[in-house]
Amino acid sequence: MSKSLVIGVSTLVLCAAVAAGAPLTKQRALAIMHERHEGMEDIGNKNKILRRELTKVSPNLGAVRAAAATIARHSSEASHWFPAGTGPELGKTGARPEIWQRPQDFAGKLRNFQAAARALNAAARAGDLGAIRARYAALGGTCKACHDSYRSEMHH
Amino acid sequence: MKQRVWDLPTRLVHWLLAALIPFSWWSVKYGHTDWHIWSGIAILTLLLFRLLWGFVGGSTARWSSFVRGPRAVAEYLRGRWVGIGHTPLGALSIVALFLAIGVQVGLGLFSEDEDGIYAGPLSTLVSSDTSDQARDIHELWFYVLLCLILLHVSAILFYRLRGKRLTKVMITGRAELAPGTAPMRAAKWWLAWICLAIALGIARWIVAGAPPFGP
Repeated sequence: MSKSLVIGVSTLVLCAAVAAGAPLTKQRALAIMHERHEGMEDIGNKNKILRRELTKVSPNLGAVRAAAATIARHSSEASHWFPAGTGPELGKTGARPEIWQRPQDFAGKLRNFQAAARALNAAARAGDLGAIRARYAALGGTCKACHDSYRSEMHH
Repeated sequence: MKQRVWDLPTRLVHWLLAALIPFSWWSVKYGHTDWHIWSGIAILTLLLFRLLWGFVGGSTARWSSFVRGPRAVAEYLRGRWVGIGHTPLGALSIVALFLAIGVQVGLGLFSEDEDGIYAGPLSTLVSSDTSDQARDIHELWFYVLLCLILLHVSAILFYRLRGKRLTKVMITGRAELAPGTAPMRAAKWWLAWICLAIALGIARWIVAGAPPFGP
């Protein structure tokens, strides 16, 4: 292979990489997918705790606050959970390829979730049960809205 | 002359189950978990209704008329059974199906989905771990149900090959009976409405998570 060809190809690859934003190494992408999986699972578990507490007549406010705070924290982490190249083409994931085919719609739904998670967290800190229940229902709506379009079944 | 074999409530329960069970499978498979839950509650209502109808319904619908011992099954297999409605052998399949659907609905009531977004109406009575386990078994139990349904359909095909058209009788409720065979004794029609009212009431009560089904 001639030297100029090597340089030409490398330049092309580099340009393509820059155009696509910083490309992920496979290792990094898999690490993000793992973090995303653990984070989503934790959100699910905290969601289950919240539902159990909030259907009680007198919920344990401490447990509600802890769960709401964790979901709010994960929700802001989620901004970094879906870079291009972390879809099902790379490994086992519940993330559908549509996430990267309709990035604006996905980003909008993610923002709705983040706003709802922050609102629930704020309500939990304030401690008014009526407001907490309303925020919790709203949060569930944002989970559903996104999962209906962008989550696939993933058995593990 | 064709005579009555199955009353209308029994046939309706049968065909609604035949529609709702596939619908339940389809709806959860394709992400309509909310429909799946409502379908399950409808099936619960049908089971409750059928349970009650088995005590006061038409003669062929009654548990006491078709739940028989092993001796009756053996007699039937030797070809020495005469009558209408479930045969002693078929009755075993019916009871197994009824119980299996009941188990499936019961598991569903306590289940929650992986993400904690959807939950059966009784899931909050148990821990999250128990709820998740109930869902896992609910998913596996479907295959038990599927085997029984396949057995049921195979038996109907088997009889069809031997010249007995059972499906049509389950649709029209009437069949040509051998001379001397007593037809179905019908129940009072309004008893069906009372059974339905009780079944709806209990199902509604469970859905509402009212005591003892709630906090």
